Amino acid sequence: MNSLGLALAIIGAACAALFAGIGSAKGVGLVGEAAAGVVSVDPNKFSKVLILQLLPGTQGLYGLLTAILLLTKIGVIGGGYEQLTTAQGLMYLGACLPIAIVGLFSGIAQGRAAAAGVGIVAKKPDHSGKGIIMAAMVETYAILALLISILLIYNIQIG
Amino acid sequence: MGTEYASAAAAVKAMESSLLTYSDIEQLIGARSVSDFNALLSSKTGEGQSLAQVWEMIRELAPGCKELNILLYRNDFHNLKAALKTLLSNRDASQYYIKPTNLDLARLSGAVAAKEYDELPEYMRETAQEAYELLTGTMDGQLSDSLIDAAALRAMQDAALETGSGFMIKYAQLTTVCADIKTAYRCSIMRKSRSFLETAVCGSSEIDKESLVRAAQAGKDTLFTFLDTTVYSELGDLLKESAAQFEKRCDDLIMEHAESARLQAFGFEPIAAYFIAKEAEIRNIRILTVCRECGADRKTITERMRKLYV
Repeated sequence: MNSLGLALAIIGAACAALFAGIGSAKGVGLVGEAAAGVVSVDPNKFSKVLILQLLPGTQGLYGLLTAILLLTKIGVIGGGYEQLTTAQGLMYLGACLPIAIVGLFSGIAQGRAAAAGVGIVAKKPDHSGKGIIMAAMVETYAILALLISILLIYNIQIG
Repeated sequence: MGTEYASAAAAVKAMESSLLTYSDIEQLIGARSVSDFNALLSSKTGEGQSLAQVWEMIRELAPGCKELNILLYRNDFHNLKAALKTLLSNRDASQYYIKPTNLDLARLSGAVAAKEYDELPEYMRETAQEAYELLTGTMDGQLSDSLIDAAALRAMQDAALETGSGFMIKYAQLTTVCADIKTAYRCSIMRKSRSFLETAVCGSSEIDKESLVRAAQAGKDTLFTFLDTTVYSELGDLLKESAAQFEKRCDDLIMEHAESARLQAFGFEPIAAYFIAKEAEIRNIRILTVCRECGADRKTITERMRKLYV
């Protein structure tokens, strides 16, 4: 059994969960800060700012999803480790990079956009939908990265 | 790009919605009686916050933000003037102090009385000693005041440059330009000496001190001709017509600058802008109240109303 190939694949899964999670944590934290500022002045705006705070949280979920799919495919979840060559391990690691890297940066960027959207809720609550749409646009790139990561994981042949 | 003060900036954005609007001002101008005016005002502004309360709130939102301190430098130096003058006239300084201020006022009184200027913040130590010596040496209160006013503007500019914030640098420059033009104009009318002008005028990167002093010394017509050659020629034109309109335009210039922060989601700038906006609102209410008491007509009051933030 080539343990290096398996190790590389596991590092890939860890990167997907780790970096996308960091992006989400930073994004959600930033929006939380801004949201807390608004709620401290007007507690009635809690529900509106909560939606904005949730938006950057999706990257972390995409990273988690990618990691679970990969770990299932290579048998780490469910038992029965697959035999992986070093090249296959590297391919799985590469497959995880789109969601790891895009998840990190889009989580932060979406956090900034959503925190700016909190300003819309603060000043013009009737237009909060516009703030949500603008922040949600960043999501597109995280979804594209997730798609590529999943396609790669499913199409890398084992054995 | 930084995301500092996300919480504070969002909180002040929420508070901006309670600032007076132009339609509120129109309604206040149109109020038929004093009781109507007061009722309308309290319905719009609630119990009404003093600037000191606004400052306290801002400080709670953004503790440790040193850029914001620059907004109070002029108050700090005013308090220094009060401390020095009351010391020499043997009066109680507390009734002449203004708030908000960066200073611990009891400490200021104590330091000035004991001539322990090291107890004062660094930006005013030298000025305090110089002003005291000038005041005791010449007994010229006007000269001493001018020295302190110019030092306040210089301290604002230095502190703004130190923070490296473009917003504060421009704020300090605008404040200095407006104050310098007003000082130069008054000195030219009162035919003050060159040495007085050199003490009273601060100077900035936008209006050269030496040129302004020379123009003011030559008389108000030369001063206006000089101002025509600067980017602030409109201020000179307004000053020719009316001091009130000049003052209004100066306040409006600061407000226009503050408006540049309205679109920012992060940073201390929206917080500073809110404070400037609140300052303008309180000034507008004061002008409105005084104008109504004097029986000024609607047109006169409207002309004197400062630009609003919202």
